[in-house]
Amino acid sequence: MPMDIDLAAIIVDRIDVGIFVLNENMEVQLWNRFMQTHSGIKSNEMFGRNIFDVFQEIPERWFRRKVNGVFILKNHAFTSWQQRPFLMKFSHNRHVTGGVEFMYQNCVLIPIKDENDNIKAVCVTIYDATDEAISQNLVKEARDRLEYLSRVDSLTQLFNRGHWEAMLEQEFKRHKRYGDMSSLLMLDLDHFKNINDSYGHTVGDDVLRAVANVLRASIRETDMGGRYGGEEFCVVMTATTIEGASALAERMRQRVEMLKIHSGEVELRITCSIGITEFDANLDSHEQLIARADNALYKSKENGRNQVTVFDRPQPQV
Amino acid sequence: MNELKVFTEDQRDCLQEIVNIAMGSAGDSLARVVETFVRLSIPKIRTIRPNDMASALVSLSSSESDTVSAVRQSFQCDKGQDGLRGEALVVFSQESFQDLAELMAYDEILTPEAEQELLLDISNILNGACLNGIASQLSTSLSYSPPSILGQGMPVDELVQREALTWDQALSVEINYSLENRSFSCDLLLLMPGSSIDYLCIKLEELIEED
Repeated sequence: MPMDIDLAAIIVDRIDVGIFVLNENMEVQLWNRFMQTHSGIKSNEMFGRNIFDVFQEIPERWFRRKVNGVFILKNHAFTSWQQRPFLMKFSHNRHVTGGVEFMYQNCVLIPIKDENDNIKAVCVTIYDATDEAISQNLVKEARDRLEYLSRVDSLTQLFNRGHWEAMLEQEFKRHKRYGDMSSLLMLDLDHFKNINDSYGHTVGDDVLRAVANVLRASIRETDMGGRYGGEEFCVVMTATTIEGASALAERMRQRVEMLKIHSGEVELRITCSIGITEFDANLDSHEQLIARADNALYKSKENGRNQVTVFDRPQPQV
Repeated sequence: MNELKVFTEDQRDCLQEIVNIAMGSAGDSLARVVETFVRLSIPKIRTIRPNDMASALVSLSSSESDTVSAVRQSFQCDKGQDGLRGEALVVFSQESFQDLAELMAYDEILTPEAEQELLLDISNILNGACLNGIASQLSTSLSYSPPSILGQGMPVDELVQREALTWDQALSVEINYSLENRSFSCDLLLLMPGSSIDYLCIKLEELIEED
């Protein structure tokens, strides 16, 4: 059965998809109703006009390359809203509930062949992808939020142990490969159990939050601070030698010692013990690195607490 | 699991010939778009099982780098389920985006989105050029879905989850592309599952009888 050409023309005009046709000189040969509605330009006004003269928002070099590709390769081409939100800046139909400024678009460029298999024109179709874009953006926001929650310790807002250890592992691999010098710090609060026992967990939580704030304020943006567990904190100091790490650790120890923590009616003070070690490419794993810092931390405890110990040196640093 | 389908020697030669011609003309049109000479490996054709996917990916030459990026795109002919159909995977090694950007006449800042668009564009060109060449020799024509990113900056063996492969066997065509005087290189993997092989066998027999 031969196709009903009149019927096809009506469908092309009325379908809820943008359709326009360009010749090799980028002049418009067809402009359907969707295009008229969204651009506000009538079909007879567009006919024969250069697309770039009318729509200056289309990046000319990019779109020309795309269209030329269709002419040369006789093949479809595509654009997606995920990489390029729109071809033409149209308003969308979600005037009320949208929360976005323009219509997101997916485009397909279709080669139109003549009877000798040469390309005589390119048909561009524009699909409104605004609904998809809005829902995908919502999903992305939710995913980002979940990712944040899965990485962060809810009490202190420092990285939680799992995520912090994964970051340490990455940093340790980088060290093994490229030799960048980094250091590791483990910090444990002194006699924290007494605070929980005498004042209760609410006060204990306030102490942990206050110490976390000190830690956050003491480290640089490139450092990674985490809560290792209970009252133990940890920091990966990137691009830091053991000397730099000692200075930072000592500053942190002093700040904790000076800290006046207010929790309800209570004001209290606390000290901490710290162990540090520098990265060592001879180690097999980041766990061994943690063990070294822990070892230094226990030396600090053994020697009377409230001090910093560097791994493998008998005397604590002051 | 059905027995692995095999082509007769004549069919295999004929298919290799078709693919070679298609790749040649693909390289040609590609060279016209990027205005650089395109080097192609000889297409490697074989039948694989889902279990072979991981090793097929790992053995690609672009997989020598730690991480890869990949784009997938479906294609089908107007015969529907019984005709030629499948998916094309394009795997890029350490993506020399600046190189790609120059080739594809990008003069904008290379945002992550622009990088993705580059991968999608070059994949679409490669896939279209090769597949149209194959289709026209089989006297059929193909339509294509929009390409999409399968993964970016990940180890090659994580690209495809084996559990997600529901087909029984597939015809695989592998080609490596590289450009003269450029660091750019990528692999194209055409995968046509089950019924496409039957369709191809019939088409190849027709061509062989015509000779």
